[in-house]
Amino acid sequence: MGNKQTIFTAQQLDAYQDCTYFTRKEILRLFYRYRDLAPQLVPLDYTNHPDVKLPYELIGSMPELKDNPFRQRIAEVFSEDGEGNMTLDDFLDMFSVLSEMAPRDLKAYYAFKIYDFNDDDFICKSDLEKTLNKLTRNELTEDEVRMVCEKVIDEADLDNDGRLSLEDFQHMIVRAPDFLSTFHIRI
Amino acid sequence: MTTYNNSGYLNPAYHDYETLEIDRREAPAWLGVRAPQSPTAQPGGDDASGGRWQEERQGTDESIPLGFISTQPQNPPWQHNLNHTTFQIDPDAHDRSAASQISSSMSANMTLRWRGVSARRLSLFPTGDPSHLFPEDVIRNELDNEEQDLVKELIGLSTVDRIQAVRALPMSVREKKHVRSQVLAFKSSKQSQQRGCCADCSESVSWTFRRFGSGLKAAGQALELWQGTMKEISGRFGTSVLTYFVFLKWLLMFNVLSFLINFGFITVPLLVYDPSPNIPPNVSFRGLEILTGVGYFNYTVMYYGGHSNETFAGQVTYNMQLAYFLTIAIYMVLCGLALIVSMAGSFRSNYVVADPSSDSAWQLLCSWDFNMTNERAVRQRKNNLRVQLKESLSENAQRKLLTLSEELSRLCVHLASWFLSTILALGCGASVYYLCLYEAQMLAADAASWSLLEEAKTLLVPFVVSLINLCVPLFYSLFNKFDHYSSHRRQIYALVVRNVFLKMFILGVLCYYWMDVVAQNVSCWESVVGQALYRLVIVDFLFLMLGSFFGEFLSNVIGTRMLPRIGVPEFDVARNVLELIYAQTLAWIGIYFAPLLPVLQIFKLFLLFYLKKISLTHNCQPPQRTGRAAQMQTIFTALLFFPFFVGALSIVAYTSWSLTPSENCGPFRGLNNSFGAVAVWIHTLEDISGSQWVIWIYQKIIKSPIFYFIVTLIILMFIYVFWQVTLGRKELIALLRKQIVKEGKDKMFLLEKLHSLQTSHPNATNKQANQQQRIGQFSDRRSPGSQSNSSALVQALLARQQFEGDLSGGVPVPADISTSSGLIQAMLAYQRAEDLNEDLYRMPDGRLSSFAPLPPPTRPRDEDRGTAGGPGDPVHAPGALEQAMQARQRAEGADDLSSSAVMMQVIQARQQEERLQWTPGPPHNPAPSGSSALIQAMLARQQAQNEFDDGY
Repeated sequence: MGNKQTIFTAQQLDAYQDCTYFTRKEILRLFYRYRDLAPQLVPLDYTNHPDVKLPYELIGSMPELKDNPFRQRIAEVFSEDGEGNMTLDDFLDMFSVLSEMAPRDLKAYYAFKIYDFNDDDFICKSDLEKTLNKLTRNELTEDEVRMVCEKVIDEADLDNDGRLSLEDFQHMIVRAPDFLSTFHIRI
Repeated sequence: MTTYNNSGYLNPAYHDYETLEIDRREAPAWLGVRAPQSPTAQPGGDDASGGRWQEERQGTDESIPLGFISTQPQNPPWQHNLNHTTFQIDPDAHDRSAASQISSSMSANMTLRWRGVSARRLSLFPTGDPSHLFPEDVIRNELDNEEQDLVKELIGLSTVDRIQAVRALPMSVREKKHVRSQVLAFKSSKQSQQRGCCADCSESVSWTFRRFGSGLKAAGQALELWQGTMKEISGRFGTSVLTYFVFLKWLLMFNVLSFLINFGFITVPLLVYDPSPNIPPNVSFRGLEILTGVGYFNYTVMYYGGHSNETFAGQVTYNMQLAYFLTIAIYMVLCGLALIVSMAGSFRSNYVVADPSSDSAWQLLCSWDFNMTNERAVRQRKNNLRVQLKESLSENAQRKLLTLSEELSRLCVHLASWFLSTILALGCGASVYYLCLYEAQMLAADAASWSLLEEAKTLLVPFVVSLINLCVPLFYSLFNKFDHYSSHRRQIYALVVRNVFLKMFILGVLCYYWMDVVAQNVSCWESVVGQALYRLVIVDFLFLMLGSFFGEFLSNVIGTRMLPRIGVPEFDVARNVLELIYAQTLAWIGIYFAPLLPVLQIFKLFLLFYLKKISLTHNCQPPQRTGRAAQMQTIFTALLFFPFFVGALSIVAYTSWSLTPSENCGPFRGLNNSFGAVAVWIHTLEDISGSQWVIWIYQKIIKSPIFYFIVTLIILMFIYVFWQVTLGRKELIALLRKQIVKEGKDKMFLLEKLHSLQTSHPNATNKQANQQQRIGQFSDRRSPGSQSNSSALVQALLARQQFEGDLSGGVPVPADISTSSGLIQAMLAYQRAEDLNEDLYRMPDGRLSSFAPLPPPTRPRDEDRGTAGGPGDPVHAPGALEQAMQARQRAEGADDLSSSAVMMQVIQARQQEERLQWTPGPPHNPAPSGSSALIQAMLARQQAQNEFDDGY
């Protein structure tokens, strides 16, 4: 195809293009971003599927993530080992979901997972408290935290089971069109 | 059979569909791991999984046994075996649990991902399929099935849809690639079977198209303007500020389009045929023209007046009149369509009826801006969020305290501020009108002979207009300080509406002046209007620059150096966007009078982007309150369309249909109105054969009012129908919402009912562990599960309950069971337990081997069963049992005995019996029993023990 790059084979690039919301150029750019995190670890040749994993410390230090209060959760949710150590696939996956093109349902699914700190498939009060503490730097009193969490559950919990399921969350997202533009990381 | 594990029963998650589904998956997954625990398994693996079992149990899912029920109802040996290991205290469990944690979390992760897929496709777990006896197979089959279903589904889709579907799967890229490769492999195998030239060809064509499409996309991305800057802005100031810049960019695109059209169809042909502007010799370029637009520019193609009305006849004939008219018309129509489309799309996706009630949920879960990359901005954002949450909490408390007088005073303030702002806007409009009249008197002379001073005087009106646009909004913001609305959004809307009124008044007055006064009195009036618009655009730009310098820079200096109390100014998105809209309206109005005005607008917007960016990064802080940016953007687009674009369009239309073009200049000289150009052209067409349809269209459609009348009627009808549909949908939405809430209530009701059923068998379930401890303290070596099956115990229970009944509640009963029903339940439980036990005893050998110490105790139990048949047949019972019976009889008979004494005797008797029976046996895992009612029996015993404890 006249491409001089030999990082990926054409098939690999096609596969990445079909599985993410990126163009070929963006995939290469993301690869270089990934590689820049640890040039000594990541080879320049991905044609033989090397098994490389970057530790969370490196991923979390990206300028796009380093000030994000949810960076650890994001990395955990998108990494296959659940601990924030990412392969290139995970890395592409993360930015694909967080890209502009990703549909709302996909974004909502992953946002839900990010907010679901204890992985029990529900956003319960403890998850909300954690979110709140991350978002407000622990500066609210316990009472306020409790009140806010109760209010949130009261507002968004449609089936009255005292916690937010994925459906509740999606329903809330539908009414919050900003979510699409805010749950978005520009590369 | 899962009775022992009733700890799951109190867990509400047990009854929840979601959890059930997960559990079903979790359980077989775990079973899969545990499969080697068949007789051939190594003990090491056994221990590890035992530890893991413990782990899972301590975690969230206590309801796992249901998974067994649903997946494998016909496989009791396994259950027992599993349960057996459950309570085996594994000394290594804690050490190993850490090791197993990783794998378990990973499997949970996988399961979740799959769950997302399967939940969407509503695939249900194949329950009780007899062919899947081995759990390992079950889980593997399940995963395979899901994957195959998915692959099948994907194969059915077209290429583009398939790619979209694969992209939207909530899985990791690795799994997506796997699915994709399977789909592709299937497709290629299918193709190789029926390989034909045609299929090959179409495949390669579609592939080429896809490549081409993605190439185009990449090129578009490369061309995208200001990408890095946008990223920087959103990183530092968040999405709401970015709205302004996105809007600016969008307007810039409009103007580029407009410029291309106008330049290509009006200016280029004119320049080709007549390259030199016919400038009178006494007019020279003096420099001030750049500001005022008069003089030199007046004779160029900049304005209407500089265009000829000829039909250029070279190799092709080019009718300038028609070109001018059609270009402007087509541009306006294109603009209108683009605006309508973007507005409609924006409304559809963004303007969802926002619930004011769901504000804090939104703030907490949807408002965080993942774009933010600047540390300071993130800190500030966190602070703001905290303040907002606190406010919303206090607002809630405050809202109820508003008294009538406060309401009234608030209403008065509203009225007053609206009145004042409207008066102000009207006054501004009037003053602009009189200023225009004054200017016309002052500059009556011919423009060509103006001195520099006179030329500079023309800047008076635009200067005043821009000054008004700069200062009056400040007054409005001042009003807003006193005028409090219940929500921040309303406050912003009020401000926006006032500013819109102001700008509309001013523009309306100016247009009236141009159409009514200038058009009647001035020769070549279109050019004069064009010049006036040119000046307005230029001066507006200067004021925008000054505004950002003085407004933002100075207040930054004041805020940081002199009065830190005020603080650094915020970037006011609403005000800035309105300024943009105003500028764009000027450009639209001017398109007829000065076709090259878009050039100016392009420069203006381009510079403005950098100017605002610099001002923003140096002077401003992110806005304290983050409104819903997407909604604001929708509102702005709508505003741009409705009063402003429609206003500009109607002015241009009015000019070209109703006003007489000037006699001496411009393309339409000599015509009654600009639209006449079309009539003239149609007239020439009459000679050409084959163009009858054009004439027909012109006569019957464009010129006939009936046509427009009918079209309007049809459109109105459609609007009405859609309006009704919308109303119906709204009702439907309300109904569905109610239904959701009702379902939720139903669920809660059922849950409560279950709870109450459980609690009426008091504390049985969740105290099991407790119970065991207690029993351990009390009599060291016993197996609670088997005990519960002993008839002696039931009898003791009967005794106690009857006794309690006699006392009519004199002894505190833990939960309010009526004695009789409790009795019946206990009996039923007993019988069921018996049935189960029989099953138990017919167990295969694998089970027996692990239950080696069991046989001796079973014998007395068999005897117990004998006694259970008839309580009055105590002959076969061991001595202890006899004592229990005696105790019961005594309890029944002796009303005169003190309650505690009877109890004690009963319990003592049972106690002895228990010791006799079970002391030789090693600690057992509970023999699982099938009904929760049996727990009642256990509970009763527990109660007795408690009381016994107290007694001691």
